[in-house]
Amino acid sequence: MHFDPYSPAVDADPFPYYKRLRDEAPCFWSEEAQMWILSRYADIVGAGQDWRTYSSASGNMMTELPNRAGATLGTTDPPRHDRLRALVQSAFLKRNLEGLADPIRAIARAAAEELRGEAVFDFKDFSAKFTVRVLMAALGLPSGDEAIVDEDTVREKAVLMVQSDPRTRAKGPEHLAAFEWMRDYAAQVIAMRRAAPRNDLISNFAAAEIDGDKLDDREVLLTTTTLIMAGVESLGGFMMMFGYNLATFPEARAAVVANPDLIADAMEESLRFNTSAQRFKRKLMRDVTLHGETMREGDFVCLAYGSGNRDERQYPDPDRYDIGRKPRGHLGFGGGVHACLGTSVARLATRIAFEEFHKVAPNYSRVADQLAWMPSSTFRSPLVLELAVH
Amino acid sequence: MAKITYVEHSGAAKTVDVPDGWSLMQAAVANGISGIVGECGGSMACATCHCYVEESRLGDLPPAEAGELEMLDMAAAEVRPTSRLACQIHASPKIDGLVIHMPETQG
Repeated sequence: MHFDPYSPAVDADPFPYYKRLRDEAPCFWSEEAQMWILSRYADIVGAGQDWRTYSSASGNMMTELPNRAGATLGTTDPPRHDRLRALVQSAFLKRNLEGLADPIRAIARAAAEELRGEAVFDFKDFSAKFTVRVLMAALGLPSGDEAIVDEDTVREKAVLMVQSDPRTRAKGPEHLAAFEWMRDYAAQVIAMRRAAPRNDLISNFAAAEIDGDKLDDREVLLTTTTLIMAGVESLGGFMMMFGYNLATFPEARAAVVANPDLIADAMEESLRFNTSAQRFKRKLMRDVTLHGETMREGDFVCLAYGSGNRDERQYPDPDRYDIGRKPRGHLGFGGGVHACLGTSVARLATRIAFEEFHKVAPNYSRVADQLAWMPSSTFRSPLVLELAVH
Repeated sequence: MAKITYVEHSGAAKTVDVPDGWSLMQAAVANGISGIVGECGGSMACATCHCYVEESRLGDLPPAEAGELEMLDMAAAEVRPTSRLACQIHASPKIDGLVIHMPETQG
């Protein structure tokens, strides 16, 4: 058996591979990835809760970016992690997001209106524009007259930096260059906000102290870089996958168009059915024996969220996209102390985006059977999603 | 492993075998306990896994940290001295047999 998270076949459709792993080798050493793969729901949840054993401090992306581990929320363990999180968390709490609903709706409406009258379009034109503008509003990135870069470039770089090369099974020069671009962009924003602080996330974060210790510059820089990357890529990827599901399953689309209150349930099922965050990694801090295999201290372990979400041991008939399922406890946002910080803003923004999108384009289907999928060992979403409006 | 009994506000009770290390929130949502929501997934960014721990067993749990207490302030139902977030309570033999009660609402 093989499992190669760098393979284009896995990018396109990981689910048959996952099923074999769950059934035949639930604790599997992947030669190609050089790490263990955990594929069953219960094992992933257990590992995700146990940060003392499954550490994030050596990186959490399957193919990690250089010099990032240890300086961001996703790549630190408690107690440092909890203190870092406390500094940024308030901006992401549901009650503090209410003020964003109207601006988000205005952004969604404007982006959707641009599609009016088009017979065929790439859904990415909508999701990318929407995502970057929402993120600029949510994080307080310079926009409008203050903007220092082009919106499209932010999105392109965020998507590029999470990719990896399927041949070398590593980051390619273009991926590293995108990371460096994003880091330089974050540095410019931090400098702007330090020179003239405003009441926004990055201003507050750049000036924050933990127990009297100022955050070091690397933490401020890489956490900000990661927030921009994670925000743009993850929200955009999530919307592409949700759009893909609704375009693929016409009954589900018709139901949510007829009753937009169903968008919330359809979205949760989309996060289960094919989450964009397919796999993250941890490093073992002690030997662990699982399903007869002994994983050694120092080994890396992949938590295959996308597989846990399709585990028939947890979700009956898992390969069916069923918007009435209400899949509680799904792993679409990960789990444990590192569960996604942006769950509230992602849910709010995506719901509003689809409400507005459906006002312009209520009936649509996929143009192509075969799609080009992003080459990434960590995330999964189509690079292009052409839709035909009926 | 710890046997944990979840008592819904309606009085309906369900006992679940929770593997060591799992949070009581994660075990609740994985086992269809409807009185625990766990909207944020365990990152302590909401208060929708609010529960009441039986007073006599409070001493078996590590005390709530500042972040948990802050978040409990956002809970939709009445906060009592026995209030905890189920995402911050992890199963171990020490809490075997624990009974937790769900509040009237998680908001």
